[in-house]
Amino acid sequence: MDKIILTTRQLKAFYLLDIHGRQKVVKAVNEVELEILENEIYGIAGESGCGKSTLLKTLAAVVEPPLRQLEGKVIYHINGEEVDVSTLGDEEMRRLRWEFVSYVPQGSMNVLNPVVKLKDTYHDFISSHVKGKSQEETFRMAKAYIAELGLPAEIMGAYPHQLSGGMRQRVTIALATLLRPKIIIADEPTTALDVIVQRGVMQLLKDIQQKLQNTIILVTHDMGVHANVADRIGIMYAGKIVEEAPTEKIFSQPLHPYTQFLINSLPKFGDKTPRQSVPGSPPSLADLPTGCPFHPRCPQVLDICKEQMPAYIAAAADHKVACWLVEEENGQAA
Amino acid sequence: MLFIRRYLIPRLIQYVLVIFVGITAVFFIPRLLPTDPVARTIAELRSRGSYLDPASIDAMVADLTEMYGLEGSSFDQYIAFWQRLFRGDFGVSFFQFPTPVIQLIKAALPWTLGLLLVTTAIAWTAGILLGGVAGYFNRQGWSRALDVLAMVVRPMPYYVFAFILLLLFGYIFPLFPVAGGASIGRQPSFSWPYISDVLRHAFLPAMSLIILGVTAWFQTMKLVVQNLNAADFVQYARFGGIKERRIVSRYVIRNGMLPQITALALLIGQIFSGALITEIVFTYPGLGTLLYNAIMTGDYNLIMGITVFSIVAITTAILVIDLLYPLFDPRIRYN
Repeated sequence: MDKIILTTRQLKAFYLLDIHGRQKVVKAVNEVELEILENEIYGIAGESGCGKSTLLKTLAAVVEPPLRQLEGKVIYHINGEEVDVSTLGDEEMRRLRWEFVSYVPQGSMNVLNPVVKLKDTYHDFISSHVKGKSQEETFRMAKAYIAELGLPAEIMGAYPHQLSGGMRQRVTIALATLLRPKIIIADEPTTALDVIVQRGVMQLLKDIQQKLQNTIILVTHDMGVHANVADRIGIMYAGKIVEEAPTEKIFSQPLHPYTQFLINSLPKFGDKTPRQSVPGSPPSLADLPTGCPFHPRCPQVLDICKEQMPAYIAAAADHKVACWLVEEENGQAA
Repeated sequence: MLFIRRYLIPRLIQYVLVIFVGITAVFFIPRLLPTDPVARTIAELRSRGSYLDPASIDAMVADLTEMYGLEGSSFDQYIAFWQRLFRGDFGVSFFQFPTPVIQLIKAALPWTLGLLLVTTAIAWTAGILLGGVAGYFNRQGWSRALDVLAMVVRPMPYYVFAFILLLLFGYIFPLFPVAGGASIGRQPSFSWPYISDVLRHAFLPAMSLIILGVTAWFQTMKLVVQNLNAADFVQYARFGGIKERRIVSRYVIRNGMLPQITALALLIGQIFSGALITEIVFTYPGLGTLLYNAIMTGDYNLIMGITVFSIVAITTAILVIDLLYPLFDPRIRYN
């Protein structure tokens, strides 16, 4: 059995908004249960506005108002010890960042300080975590790492605006992985890039993961990217993980109707029939339907779907899904 | 050298061109006025009741015409004007006849520059640092307190504020002299008694400029930085566990000061036309008072002299900042 690196238990993170005196609760992360293993790439997929980015924020422990973590826990397994993130102080958390958990943001166009050279940005990040390194030592460290990743060493003397978008994303990935973190959280790392560059950037992430044998939590709405890199995939809908399975199973035998729609909407070679997308649009997270949040869009909706949220059912040891239909079929089969 | 060809030379050409056009305008605008300065001077003399016989009037007209540089056609005058300008000759002043204009400017300039350069530098630096730190920690109590303080002080009209200072520390508590740049009769020298005397005289005008200046820079900087707090690279640095002191200095203030540098350049240029209200309230012997007197007495040569001076000063300040700016913002570099 592989070791677990990150667990969430009944994680609830809501945005509590006060709009002109009217309270509004946006249920962005709703009872999420995750068990993410060491040395795996875990993909999280879902439409825009389903809470993917908020989930990442809570996983990375950047919960700032109006976002609040109301219930549940995020647990890091640091050297075999379970650490509840919410109990950590600012300084402890600051030290965990980059050394244990690090972050590759969506489109790195603006995450690098525009007025200093890259080597200075690298120096800032390194020297904030590694004690007693001179500027020269950090430069050498950064340069060696950059070379190891196959990026040209000259870019250390460049300013961010002098690099192309793809190069900037690579530089940011290098920056995020420099201190060999156990977990890399990547939020749509290839979204703003063209397909060719996307491939290079994903390959870089994969290479790094193979070298460091660590965990990547990868969020993207691009199922193609997931198919290529992820070991396991969690499908997120309206703040919940509705299905979770190894990548091949998600693509070969999706059980949740929402997952089925996602998979069927992908183009296939030689198949020219028009693709069908999910009917309707995702629900507002501030005003969720009762029962299963997918029921208003589900073509196979049952009566019970409108009343109760289904619990997780293990379709296989590594395949869980939250859907009444599966319940039904299993019941019939049994 | 790409830098010289693409960056330096175009700016130098622009610099020379702007000065040329500005000074040309200074030359022509008074000549478009319907009043004839020579006729006006003579009329003034006559109105004082002195009798002038026609021959002496003719002689006076000739003298005045020469002094005003009004001989020959407009074009001849223009050429002669430039020739004199290159020699540093702006003609003689009329309200302090016959002192040359250049001497008056030379006497007033050190006072203005000393006072304004120092106060501007202090106010700018303090305002940027305070505003930067307060903007980054804008949720803290002390940051809000500073904000309220700035909001109360800043809208005060300068002359009221300066007058309150003068009244308070010059009259009610007579700690500082109320007028002048130095005690009357003291000989300028590089000795401590003289320097301390100058500093004592400069203290109140300097305080009035610094306090109001700091609040202004503070407020703009704080707003800029508050916006920067949401910038991706600041958030990312914060997420990356970079120490806050470093984020404030290298991420927030370095980026937030960019627009302030431009504003500073424009302000430094304006220094050369003096700080009129300061100089009047505190009877400070600077360029502002000089310009004010020149305008009140219709002293064309002096007005032109000071205007030419400030045109050159403003364009030079802008040129210098233009050349230095790439050091602060690498995105502006010559590529």
